[in-house]
Amino acid sequence: MNDRGQGIDVAGLQKDYRVHRRTSGLASTLRSVFRRTYETVTAVRDLSFHIEPGERVGFLGPNGAGKTTTLKTLSGLLHPTAGRVSVAGHEPRLREHRFLKRITLVMGQKQQLLWDLPPVDTFSQNRAIYDIARPAFDATLKELDDLLGIGAIAEKPTRQLSLGERMKCELAAALLHRPDVLFLDEPTIGLDVSMQLAVRDFIRAYNERTGATTLLTSHYMDDVAALCPRVIVIDKGRLRYDGSLSKLVEKIRPDKSIVLRYAHRPDRAALERLGTVTECEEAKAVVRVARPDLREAVAHLLLDPALSDLTIEDPPLEEVLRDLFAQSATEST
Amino acid sequence: MKAALSAYPTLLRIGFAAAVAYRTEMLVWMLTMTMPFVSLALWSAVSATAPVGRFDQKSFVAYFLATIVVRQLSGSWVVWEIIQEIKSGTLSSRLLKPIHPLIAYSADNLAATPLRVLFALPLALIGLASGGAVLPHEPRTIAAFLLSLFGAWVITFFVMVIVGSLSFFMESSMSVFDIWLALFMLLSGYLVPLELFPSWVRSLAEALPFRYTLGFPVEVLIGMSDDAAIVRGLAIQFAYGIGAAIVALALWRAGVRRFGAFGG
Amino acid sequence: MRRYLRLLALQLRMSVALGAQYRWDFLTQGALSMVWTVLGLVPLYVALHGRPAVAGWTYEQALVVVGWFTVLKGVLDGAVNPSLILVVEHIRKGTLDFVLMKPADAQFLVSTARFEPWRAIDLVAGVAILVWAFRLMGSLPSAGGMALSVALLTVAIAVLYSTWIVVVAAAFWVVRLDNLSYLMSSLFDFGRWPVSIFRGAVRLFFTFVVPIALMTTYPAEALLGRLAPTTAWLGMAGALVFALGGRFIFTQAIGRYTSASS
Repeated sequence: MNDRGQGIDVAGLQKDYRVHRRTSGLASTLRSVFRRTYETVTAVRDLSFHIEPGERVGFLGPNGAGKTTTLKTLSGLLHPTAGRVSVAGHEPRLREHRFLKRITLVMGQKQQLLWDLPPVDTFSQNRAIYDIARPAFDATLKELDDLLGIGAIAEKPTRQLSLGERMKCELAAALLHRPDVLFLDEPTIGLDVSMQLAVRDFIRAYNERTGATTLLTSHYMDDVAALCPRVIVIDKGRLRYDGSLSKLVEKIRPDKSIVLRYAHRPDRAALERLGTVTECEEAKAVVRVARPDLREAVAHLLLDPALSDLTIEDPPLEEVLRDLFAQSATEST
Repeated sequence: MKAALSAYPTLLRIGFAAAVAYRTEMLVWMLTMTMPFVSLALWSAVSATAPVGRFDQKSFVAYFLATIVVRQLSGSWVVWEIIQEIKSGTLSSRLLKPIHPLIAYSADNLAATPLRVLFALPLALIGLASGGAVLPHEPRTIAAFLLSLFGAWVITFFVMVIVGSLSFFMESSMSVFDIWLALFMLLSGYLVPLELFPSWVRSLAEALPFRYTLGFPVEVLIGMSDDAAIVRGLAIQFAYGIGAAIVALALWRAGVRRFGAFGG
Repeated sequence: MRRYLRLLALQLRMSVALGAQYRWDFLTQGALSMVWTVLGLVPLYVALHGRPAVAGWTYEQALVVVGWFTVLKGVLDGAVNPSLILVVEHIRKGTLDFVLMKPADAQFLVSTARFEPWRAIDLVAGVAILVWAFRLMGSLPSAGGMALSVALLTVAIAVLYSTWIVVVAAAFWVVRLDNLSYLMSSLFDFGRWPVSIFRGAVRLFFTFVVPIALMTTYPAEALLGRLAPTTAWLGMAGALVFALGGRFIFTQAIGRYTSASS
């Protein structure tokens, strides 16, 4: 039965928080006992997008942009202040059990694994709570074990596991009920590089194998670049961009960096005729060239016999996003 | 040592600010000390028709309210602090400071006193109004009371340090403290005025330190001790205080050495 | 319904597994439990033993109240408080979200999250005190009395649980509530003696506002065969209202919950 055809639909989403503001000091403290001043902070404003089932989408944005708020609204933890939200045909805030069985939320900085007991106990608990039949449970567990490489660590108390091992078990616990929609909030935070790669590979493999819709927020650009063909950029609660990542890069930073290595000190003046020189030292130079001029520039550079290596790189995503947000800042002023 | 003494006033000031910041917690903690009221209810009902020993209803009210006041003013929570810091490893950062941790703890503790006096004041006034107490009005009795209060704090503080330091050597010494607390409730006069126990219990209580953390100051406060008893009590308090301090310092030092060896 | 029973069994098993992890604590806590129970008897003994009845209760009769108190304390410390403490911790760490994401009733999950199995000793001790009290009196409670007192005990547990629910709902608004479990335990201490020991406003408070009297004195009176039936029925009706109110407040609180940012 495949009725997950509806995907994720968000229209005009708005989420406001009421925050209590108080300055420090005894007088203010006393006053706040009797009369509190509240401020309304809008975390997300007028957000709209549609995600097809099976897509992998990344949410990008600076801290406090509203990414986690959006994710939590989609999973039903927060009620929208305004707007319409539909996930797999359900209204998340109703938190119907049928809905909850089809989604999962993984938060990189928090864990659902029971701390003092081994992960296998959390697995059993989830099996009971999600009403998973024994054969299905065993099969899923084996599959997750193979994909993640858990093995015997699931039998040690959680507090004795390393951060990476915990994350693997955390992912397993979250996927035991084979959800159709995955919400991943900073899943690779704090992990070492090899573990980040492992988690990324796993998420991709899982999505390809099961067709589960995957929403990911991350600060690590590499996560998003590797996993998400489509990105939604949120800044100050507003939608900034919704589309493919490569097009975003092209739009914001339509240039490429050519990294050159020479046998001797490069001729800066000569390079400056081709484009912007961002680096020029001992035996290395980096030149930024607009895409249209790339071919010509490379052809020219290759003529130099002293050239020992030439690499063409995309601008770093961090810079792309930084420029994007700088743009939006000037737009709003 | 001199540096520590000159830093003490600042520590007290900061400790007071912290106490004010945590005033709600402190108030709630105060509210959780309902046991004297529970005891009072019982004894009040029992003495409604006839006094028990030399306690009539009014004296019971005075006694138990005095219990709360004394406990407030001489109490400490350092055992929880120490155990928490050892368990979480935050003791390491404290050990890096150029001041003995015990001095810092004591400053924290004593700094909260003005606030606790404030919280305890209403109760003290009610106790006063009950008319069951003979408050000390002679300067020497007042001085004796204040001394006994300080002595009670000294014993409590250093015993807590001892129990807390045991956490350097065992998994969690909280259970040891629970045992101390249970004996305290019984033998300090917290649950039942010591006078009302059979004589063998009374003699036992007079020899053990528990009485000197609560029962003795209470008796001085509500006028149930004569001069001779006061002097004797203060002497024993002093002895226990010094003894506890010596053991505490030694055990702490040994514990810190072990902590450093095994890391935190 | 069967599903929830299975879940309950699972949660209990988890708590036992957890207790087995910290075996030493398990034993010492059990022993200390006994010590506290005995300690609680001392004032009663000193005050009432061998003396005429106070406020209508002799020493042996008051023991019956203490017996029920001990049983309920076992329930409070073993089943109610541990999950309360856990919930406050969840809220503070922001991991309550995971509970809310599960396809099971949030109130159920939250209240069965943690048990302290060694508190079963309190239950045994409480019953032992009851048996001892009746032996001292040289009589036996009537079958009707026993049935009624068990019914009232169930009511008492329901009231206790509902109070807990309301307290947890408050924790959603005021996060710094570490002391709350202590506060509940301390208030509960007033159920140690028969309620008629209190006078005037205090007695009214403990009968109607925080119905501690309901929890310990009424079951004791039922066992002793001196509880008026109307009082019993009123008590039960009140408890039902309390329980429903608690559930309502909890669902409201969940609805308005805003998890700690990020």
